Amino acid sequence: MKIAIRLLLLFALQAAFAHPIRANADDMDFEQLDGLSLAELMDVVVTSSSKKPERLADAPTAIYVITNDDIRRSGVTTIPEALRMAPGIQVARIDANKWAVSARGFNGRFANKLLVLIDGRSIYTPTFSGVYWEAQDVVLEDIERIEVVRGPGATLWGSNAVNGVINIITKHSRDTQGGLVTVGGGTEETAFTTVRYGGRLSADATYRMYTKYVERDDFVNASNNDGADEWDKFQGGFRIDWSKGDTDTFTVQGDVYKETVGQTYLFPSTTTPPFASFEDETDISGLNLVGRWERNVSETSGMFLQLYYDNFQREDLLVGEETDIFDVDYHHRFGLGIGNDVIWGFGYRLVSGAFEGTDQVAFVPADRTTHFYSAFVQDDIELVEDRLHLVIGSKFEHSYYSGFEYQPNIRLMYTPSSRQSIWGAVSRAVRTPSRAADDVLLNNRVLPANSPGNPFPLPIQATIRGHSDFESEELLAYEFGYRVSPTSDLSLDIAVFYNDYDDLRSFEVAESITNPTHIDTYVDIRNRMDGEAYGIELAADWSLTDWWRLQSSYAFQRLQLHIDNGSSDTTSEPGERRTPQQQAYLRSSFDITTAVSLDVTARFVDGIADFDIDGYTAIDVRLAWSPTERLVVSVVGQNLLDDRHPEYQPRLINTVPTEVQSGVYGKVAWQF
Amino acid sequence: MKIRNTHSIDLDPVVTKGCGSRPRSNGIFGAFRFAAVLIFCSSFVARAEGDVSLEYKVKTVFLYNFTKFIEWPPGSMPEDGDFVIGIFGDDQFGDGLSYFADKKVRGRKIMVRKFAYVDDLEPCHILFICSSAKFNHGRILAAVADWHVLTVGEWEWFATNGGVINFVSRGGKVNFEINQAAAGRAGLRISSNLLNLATIVTE
Repeated sequence: MKIAIRLLLLFALQAAFAHPIRANADDMDFEQLDGLSLAELMDVVVTSSSKKPERLADAPTAIYVITNDDIRRSGVTTIPEALRMAPGIQVARIDANKWAVSARGFNGRFANKLLVLIDGRSIYTPTFSGVYWEAQDVVLEDIERIEVVRGPGATLWGSNAVNGVINIITKHSRDTQGGLVTVGGGTEETAFTTVRYGGRLSADATYRMYTKYVERDDFVNASNNDGADEWDKFQGGFRIDWSKGDTDTFTVQGDVYKETVGQTYLFPSTTTPPFASFEDETDISGLNLVGRWERNVSETSGMFLQLYYDNFQREDLLVGEETDIFDVDYHHRFGLGIGNDVIWGFGYRLVSGAFEGTDQVAFVPADRTTHFYSAFVQDDIELVEDRLHLVIGSKFEHSYYSGFEYQPNIRLMYTPSSRQSIWGAVSRAVRTPSRAADDVLLNNRVLPANSPGNPFPLPIQATIRGHSDFESEELLAYEFGYRVSPTSDLSLDIAVFYNDYDDLRSFEVAESITNPTHIDTYVDIRNRMDGEAYGIELAADWSLTDWWRLQSSYAFQRLQLHIDNGSSDTTSEPGERRTPQQQAYLRSSFDITTAVSLDVTARFVDGIADFDIDGYTAIDVRLAWSPTERLVVSVVGQNLLDDRHPEYQPRLINTVPTEVQSGVYGKVAWQF
Repeated sequence: MKIRNTHSIDLDPVVTKGCGSRPRSNGIFGAFRFAAVLIFCSSFVARAEGDVSLEYKVKTVFLYNFTKFIEWPPGSMPEDGDFVIGIFGDDQFGDGLSYFADKKVRGRKIMVRKFAYVDDLEPCHILFICSSAKFNHGRILAAVADWHVLTVGEWEWFATNGGVINFVSRGGKVNFEINQAAAGRAGLRISSNLLNLATIVTE
């Protein structure tokens, strides 16, 4: 499931220890080292004495790592915007506070095939399947890295890691000692401030605490009028890390947040016009508390135990929600004979959701508590020393909604030299039903009388209805990748995939009841669609000199969906055209002097046929001046090529989409 | 070869790390475990004698570079003496210490001395304390307190516990912390160029 941090580290470890780059780095001799300055010496990657895994990129999977430096230099202000940096990740903004984020297709505000975790805590909502991106934030300066895995990660992370896993990892509190104050504001990023302070509790325990406030402007709708999607958010939190001896680390961390996000809802109406619009300010709040115990005895031996509690509350015109999650994860790794690294573990999750319905959205029953059980085992076998690795494993899960699931994978990685590696994988992953798929009643749309799709003299009111027979969506994925680093300054990464989907979600007309004023039609959530997808993702990273670096990527994907014979669904098949087929990204990071840096990001996103949205190119620029190491003053321009452009449209929940506006903001960051 | 066919987590951490103490044997399982540990240790020893890891090469070069940014009190640098680098504990520098053979510090030849016991310690300009000796660091620091020694460690909390410089791993790279108060007590003056690169820690 979300055994996250240690697991991913371990996954990397399995590859990193047997794989190339260490050997590559070992090539450096004293003569070369002697020629380096102290600062350059500090930049040499060695295998750390703590046996902590490095070189994540050597895992036999399509992985990309967004670093703290990438985030800072790109000038992004939210997590979903940062994800645009990863090749093959589709990020589209629906309005100022709503995003659609997916990998390898199936995008949408409730993109349900991408699992996302922050420090091992799943932020994938069990209610709707997907991520409320507007509710997820961290102090971006405190992010150590974001690991972005395209393709199934189900064996280690569990269900819903179907098309990808995103792992947001914040820094150890030891690395955020001292104070940080940032203040800024601009046209779209109206005002923001962060105060963080880190200190020491004892000789071997450190902490940090922070507060953050953000206020963002609304965008404009298609007719260039102001939307109602401005938002503001307050968040605070802490993290404590305590090392005991050489091997054990205890971490306690938590966050609490409160925000107001605006939008315009369109409620289907049986009178004319078929939609009534309401401006709404949604209140969202939540808190979480995570405890973690990690033990690293050696590179192949250790354990991980994590408990967390997460509370999420949301109150809008549609529905009121309060969801509590309690989660336990344990894993243990050990060497079994020479060249076998085994990891196994189990997890339990309790989800308790309470809803207050309206005539637009209701949950039946309104309150429900469900339990999830999982276990997994994986072995990394070194078939040929330093050359050939086989990873084989499976996850086993039981959920209330879909019963028993198994999610195996097999991966092979061949490393012919220290500069290149080839990998291939076959995996099965499932997207398990959410609470909504079972329990929801959602007033989706009204088809006016005598309109396309409704030949009757009465309007049809379509209500989507959860169904207890809705099963997991299944994927069988075939992946292949190649990485090469012709010189130490240049690296290339290619991944291709073929995904075979079965039992995809469809909406089936189940029954109709004729009333004097309208016809009530119930549309059940079922599994009468399958499909296939294929694509390629390329990434290149080139450090031309010490002061100029280019990062680029290109991705192509094509999804084909096929509704079953006998299905009455007319809206799901066009889903194949709701994700851009092509994306390209180029970022130049340029140090003009040691104190002044200039970053330019250009990205192209293909059009979205089903929404009639054109492709667009956007440019972001960040100019930063750092007179001392403690002070950074920056100016950032975002989406500079046009005044505004649409990126996406909502589905299922009807809000008025707005268009992304260009903006400029200034920021001062002071460390003490 | 399926010899280490036991959960390594069961192994005494001291044995796994340092290969120093002999595991308790009890019965067949104990003998089996002992054999496993021996094999594990022997692979360790073989590695130490063979090539030196990049990490320790980098640390070796760092030790030499530190001398360019640090001033020892005049009294501790007699005109005709050597510059002494002491190494305490089971080190992993291996043959890499020959790096110092053709190097000089302010015109003085560099002599490397190894110490295994606190009572054997003798004055030196730099004392590198290996992580294998971390549990002894309090006694070591007390023993060298009067000698104007640049103490260098390589584990978490060394500098905050009174060491002058501490190597730390950051993202797979060797970085270092400096405790200025400890440097002051040892009578060492550290150039701001070095301080700027370090993480400054306090006790």
